[in-house]
Amino acid sequence: MTAPTTMTALPAVRPGPRAWAALALAEARMVARDTAGLVVPLGMPVLILVMNGIAFGTDQVLPDAGGRTVLEVHVLPVTLTIVVTMVGVVNVPSFLAAYRRTGILRRLGVTPASPAMVLVTQGLVGIVQIAAGLAIALGVAVWHFGAAGPARPWAAAGALALAVASTYAVGMLVAAVAPTPQSAVALGLLAFFAMGATGGMFGPRENLPDAVRDVGAVLPFGATVDTLGSAWVGSGAPGAALLGLVATAVIGGGLAALWFRWE
Amino acid sequence: MDAIRTQRLRKTYRRRGRGRGRTVAVDDLDLTVVSGEVMGLLGRNGAGKTTAVEMIAGLRTPDRGQVRVLGLDPRTDRARVRGVLGVQLQAPRLHDALTVRELVRLHRSFYPTGRDPDELIDALGLGEVRGTRFEKLSGGQQQRTSVAVALVGAPRVVVLDELTTGLDPEARRGMWGLVRGLRDDGVTVLLVSHHMDEVERLCDRVTVLDGGRVVARGTPASLVADARLAPGAGLEEAFFALTDRAAPVPPITEEAAP
Repeated sequence: MTAPTTMTALPAVRPGPRAWAALALAEARMVARDTAGLVVPLGMPVLILVMNGIAFGTDQVLPDAGGRTVLEVHVLPVTLTIVVTMVGVVNVPSFLAAYRRTGILRRLGVTPASPAMVLVTQGLVGIVQIAAGLAIALGVAVWHFGAAGPARPWAAAGALALAVASTYAVGMLVAAVAPTPQSAVALGLLAFFAMGATGGMFGPRENLPDAVRDVGAVLPFGATVDTLGSAWVGSGAPGAALLGLVATAVIGGGLAALWFRWE
Repeated sequence: MDAIRTQRLRKTYRRRGRGRGRTVAVDDLDLTVVSGEVMGLLGRNGAGKTTAVEMIAGLRTPDRGQVRVLGLDPRTDRARVRGVLGVQLQAPRLHDALTVRELVRLHRSFYPTGRDPDELIDALGLGEVRGTRFEKLSGGQQQRTSVAVALVGAPRVVVLDELTTGLDPEARRGMWGLVRGLRDDGVTVLLVSHHMDEVERLCDRVTVLDGGRVVARGTPASLVADARLAPGAGLEEAFFALTDRAAPVPPITEEAAP
């Protein structure tokens, strides 16, 4: 069949900046209206920060840490890492799995907006959520507990960027393999607590068996805590931690891209 | 000009569990919807209507055969086809925490031109719930929101799958008026339905599917005449008579054409 010229002259319709902005706003509204999904990653880390701040006090100075306190080198990096990991590993996949289950990604597939736009805008909204969580945690640490900022701010920013990339990769992998929204939340929480437990969320990693400690140090949670801690002290980032973050982002992201299903 | 054309379209699904094998959902479907007409696609549950719609919308890849929407392949010419094709899927699937107004405006943003979201919301009788979240709407209101989202880009071709399922009689009449309005505006409509009265009133032509194959096609009046029923029988009686037939209508193919 030969198509008449009037048919082939139809313009290609691709979503412009207005569509991207509208979808990002819609995703932001969805996140903001999911009270539990909003409060947990913003509120829980601050609660942990406050409880640890009270327990450790603000004057416990670590030896060989340039005068930095336990709060600055251990508690604050753990708190910031919880914010990033909670959003990346639990929130993002639960939204995407729910969208897949309810057919929203499929519905968008019949419009000029591709389902891939949802992935990108969800990621961006997650980053805004992370930024808000980090700002709240840092604000409480600085103004309430008198914590000082990192000795190497750019290293801290780089560590957080790598943390976002690696936890998103894990989150996308969870979204790719989870068959239902419930299983996405379950798998995400499992990954979050497994990485947190081996990465120092529940106490010093020195108390863990050697093998567990070594694995925890290269998984996203522990690697982020170590990299942020070194940025606060002003020392160089541990190579194994950086390698772990990059490897998780690349391998996890690659597998997620391979296995992700739109429906 | 053909707005929608399918040729020898076939889609099978893998069966799991006992009796493994493949179920034929659509078999050699030849369908032509001429620009500006309202074509009805009738069939029982499992007749293959929704699978056919999903292949026309580019959501499913046929095992065999060809789909063209305004002469374009909806899978390979995605960006062109999506700009002119509006699809209302069988089950309303939209962001459930967004309001009616937010949803319609969001979908309007995907198109360079289109209808005014607020006017469309009013036209579909959703004015009072424009600020209500999708999850809080009744089934009928969700259905109408789904239609609004399908129409807001002012498509030239519209596929409506189970348009009035779950609607009360008044809302159904409203939807019928909407379809007539689309036809008056020159929009091509493929209306998938179980409701014979709806098809009889709205459609210029009808294609009847049974077991994934075309068993009858023509105007509603010609289908009734072909069924050779007692005087006074309507499309519903004709439908049952036609779908009880064993032999499907041979597909119209270019090879088979004289």
